[in-house]
Amino acid sequence: MTSSAQPLLDARDITVRFGGLTAVDAVSARFMPGELVGIIGPNGAGKTTFFNAISGVTQPTSGALTVQGRELAGQGPHRFAANGLARTFQTPRTFADMRVRDNIAFGLKFAGRRPRQYIWWGEETTVPWVLRTPESILGLIGLSAQAELPAAAITPSQQRLLEIGMALATRPRMLLLDEVAAGLTENEVEEMALLIRRLRDELDLTVVWIEHAVTTLLRHVERVIVLHQGRKIADGTPAEVVRNPEVIEAYLGDEMNESSDEETEA
Amino acid sequence: MTSRQFLIRDLLVLFGLTGWALALPGFASEFAVSMALTCLMYIALSSSWALFCGTTRYLSLATSAFFGIGAYTSAILLESMAWVQVIGLGALVAAAVAVVMGAAVLHLRGTYFAVLTFGMTELIRHAISYFEKSVTGTVGRVLMVVPDRDTIYLTVLALAVLTVALSITIRRTRFGLAMLGIGADEQRAQTLGVNTRWVKVAGFALTAAVAGAVGAAMSVRWTYIDPHTVFNPFIGFQTVLIALIGGAATLWGPLIAAIVFSVLAETLRLQVPQIYMMSLGLLLILSVLYLPGGLASLRTESLRGWRDGAKAWWIETRDDLSGETKRRKQREKSLRERRDVF
Repeated sequence: MTSSAQPLLDARDITVRFGGLTAVDAVSARFMPGELVGIIGPNGAGKTTFFNAISGVTQPTSGALTVQGRELAGQGPHRFAANGLARTFQTPRTFADMRVRDNIAFGLKFAGRRPRQYIWWGEETTVPWVLRTPESILGLIGLSAQAELPAAAITPSQQRLLEIGMALATRPRMLLLDEVAAGLTENEVEEMALLIRRLRDELDLTVVWIEHAVTTLLRHVERVIVLHQGRKIADGTPAEVVRNPEVIEAYLGDEMNESSDEETEA
Repeated sequence: MTSRQFLIRDLLVLFGLTGWALALPGFASEFAVSMALTCLMYIALSSSWALFCGTTRYLSLATSAFFGIGAYTSAILLESMAWVQVIGLGALVAAAVAVVMGAAVLHLRGTYFAVLTFGMTELIRHAISYFEKSVTGTVGRVLMVVPDRDTIYLTVLALAVLTVALSITIRRTRFGLAMLGIGADEQRAQTLGVNTRWVKVAGFALTAAVAGAVGAAMSVRWTYIDPHTVFNPFIGFQTVLIALIGGAATLWGPLIAAIVFSVLAETLRLQVPQIYMMSLGLLLILSVLYLPGGLASLRTESLRGWRDGAKAWWIETRDDLSGETKRRKQREKSLRERRDVF
């Protein structure tokens, strides 16, 4: 494994402006190997924009981005993918006309073809066995039965799983999840959270997870970053963040107190 | 069928068609051969157009630019170089122009891309017209040494076969998959590791190379060329029309439509030219409305669907005309009223 002192992704003073609007305002964040980090914030807080900026989809107006020691700010998303960074999109963007299996095979054919990098990373000399083939990835996310169906024909919750599967096919070191639990039933959200934890543990991934459903997220992550109006207002364990007066004041308010009360009761 | 069986089928079909086209000059009339030549030209042009534009959904209208560049390369070099070299250079020059053009406009999508490629085509045409008029002092060029008819035919045939063979193979490569991904969702493809910029420029250059080679080969058929004939936007439009009507995302669609078109063109254009253009427009409208996948996506089920649709439409119209619909509504209304009473 990479030495724990070096962060997998180091974002420094990332700013994104659209015309006069500052969507992300000098946000810095470091993500260490094996971390499970949540990002929360009200609508329009800049969560997705920050995600886009650290995955190369949007070019940050200013700021520095280092992925595994390489400076990648200003480069295209494929360079981020090639450096072990995979992401999902808020609305699943699967290839509707292709079969589920081919959707997975796509990522394997491009960013996924990097067995040598695993050698450079040290410990692992080969690709983790669960990421070897489309079939094994489908097994991991539980879509084996749907392998031959066109991606347009599967249910929305399966679409979300497929979206994660496509990202996993790039054989990432870091997984960025953008509201993967949105629109799912309570049970499905719980299953999704367990899957994410399992992926992190089994594949030794760094996972950054944006979610609108704060309570679920706080129950599963080890660290939370709170964005508000494009700025980072808190960064710490869920317990710390919940007590942070600025967070309560600026964003979570009464709703958060109630849900945290519920949790302590439970 | 498995993907391997599909490959074998496609190659066999191509092989059979090639043999048939090779034998054609031996028995057919002069007229039929010249018709086949136009047909082969459009097979090469629209198959190569579909190879890039059909899969990535970047609608390029620049085919006539590359065709014209190939034709001019050929006109300039024909006397000093061997035939194969001329064709190769035509392809190369067109591809080089495509790389420059692609780097400039391939980050735009949809209408902007289409309009800009068309604008650049016009720009190139006018630039060459101006250059010829003011520097070389001519309006056109007469080609003195031209290869014989069979050489031209075989060259264009080889180009058409090469293009279809390329389409068959590229579909199964990583490059083809990358283009398909760009067509489906470019940004998603990028985040999955596709260097979309490179793929787009390379694909665009590939289409241009084929169009340039075809232009180089076809220019000698006319013996006299000027910018208006070889940069004729109609060549570009017709290529796009053929590909769209045949099915831009399919392998055989452009070929099928090219055959339909050249038969239509030669039979109608000579006698009733207006009807030819009208039938082109009608075919396009029909294929967009009822067969969005193009002629190649036509199956017995779609025919059956149309038949059932037509039947339902006819029954409805008949009932409307005979007053049956009105009577039925009346009956339903009185039935409801009676029910309400009880």
